[in-house]
Amino acid sequence: MIHPPHPRDPAIFGVVQDAFAEALGLDLDEVEYESKIIEDLGAESLDLLDIVFRLERAFDIKIPRGGIESAARDGLEEGEAYEVNGVLTALGIEKLAEAMPEVPRAEFREGLKVAEVPLLFRVATFCRLVCHLIESKGRQSA
Amino acid sequence: MGVRRLDFGLYGSRHGRDFDAGRICEVSMPGAAVGEIISVPWMPHELLEDQSSAVDAMAEAVDALSGVSAVGLGSLLAVVGSRGEALASRVDVPITTGAAATSWAAIENTLQVLDWTGEKSVALLGFSGTVGETVAAGLKRAGVEVTATGRGRALARRAEEMGVGFTSIQEGVSSHKVVVGAGTTGSVVEPQWMQTNSVLVDVALPSSLKKGERPTGLLILAGEAMDLPKGWRRGFWGRIYHLLAGYGPHQIYACLAEPMVMAAHGIDEPFAQGRKLSLEKVDVFSEAAQDLGLEARLASGWKSVEKKHFAHIQGGVG
Repeated sequence: MIHPPHPRDPAIFGVVQDAFAEALGLDLDEVEYESKIIEDLGAESLDLLDIVFRLERAFDIKIPRGGIESAARDGLEEGEAYEVNGVLTALGIEKLAEAMPEVPRAEFREGLKVAEVPLLFRVATFCRLVCHLIESKGRQSA
Repeated sequence: MGVRRLDFGLYGSRHGRDFDAGRICEVSMPGAAVGEIISVPWMPHELLEDQSSAVDAMAEAVDALSGVSAVGLGSLLAVVGSRGEALASRVDVPITTGAAATSWAAIENTLQVLDWTGEKSVALLGFSGTVGETVAAGLKRAGVEVTATGRGRALARRAEEMGVGFTSIQEGVSSHKVVVGAGTTGSVVEPQWMQTNSVLVDVALPSSLKKGERPTGLLILAGEAMDLPKGWRRGFWGRIYHLLAGYGPHQIYACLAEPMVMAAHGIDEPFAQGRKLSLEKVDVFSEAAQDLGLEARLASGWKSVEKKHFAHIQGGVG
């Protein structure tokens, strides 16, 4: 039985850490697993593009745009709303929190806007996303 | 020097999709350099969703060119694939993104605004980005009191290291008469945050200002504009392209000049590639550009602005 990769596995975290460091011009030790990519590392929108590109090449995966939000929306039943006028519903927040277990629950506050979701992203978020995509790719190949 | 003709139909189908690059027009500075504007006709979402294929497409376009000494990347092509680095690793010609020229024009234009208004300080948006950070450093070096805006510990630390102030966007914008919008994320400023009789030096797209009623006397300038180089030739379709691209009849975006300056001077080291950009690179571009008679241009839309347009701002109360 092949075990799925773990986000903290050096083979995963090390590559993700390197991608962030290269894209943001940081030293490796400045990129920690729990680092918030905007608040702590100073990433902006173009940096996220660069990081995604580097991770796709490093792991030979395809990272869909808005993948994390999509994962949250996929958890909704038909007719259930993820957001209204750009503000997450209570259900949307719940589903997003499920999709991002690496983020402390307290940060998923009422009134959270869709545009603010990237502020929650950690390096760990990308590690988990990479693991999920590697695992999905493995299942498709099997 | 320069780029030569290339023909349509040179490219085959790759990756299961038809790919065709288009020659939009030839541009030239007589006696200096000749260039061509090439389009890679992908929609923005296509470029963003499949950066690897976008880089493949760009590499195909570059490989089909012959005799070129520099290639500049515009719009989203300057962003995808690690801001030119991935493409540069695939081709033998220097790849430059235009960030040095944009920063140069933004610094020059802002300094002119400060000179004409008598203001000594600016609030700067987009400090987290390449151009924003470089413009902040350039203005500070010129003796301007810079307040960078944004959020987060990382940016605050970076501002402190640079020796510039740091505050929120709203606070920065509302407390300065001159605001430099150098961010890559547009629509970050509520119009009512801007002071009356203030200036927004808005560098490139997207626009920093959200939609809404603007305060009285707000002057919005194209921060990255350059005077159309003397003798610049662009042909009929080039003129159409310039207008449709928003350049206006008498100016260009500075980034367009970056590969031309490289070709004219035989410079094979890119001015800008990747995330980091040093002031030294901007200085090299500045010297090379001015040697060719290129100048930054203060413009509001298509119209150039002069000192008289700032009369209501000089010494005005916000």
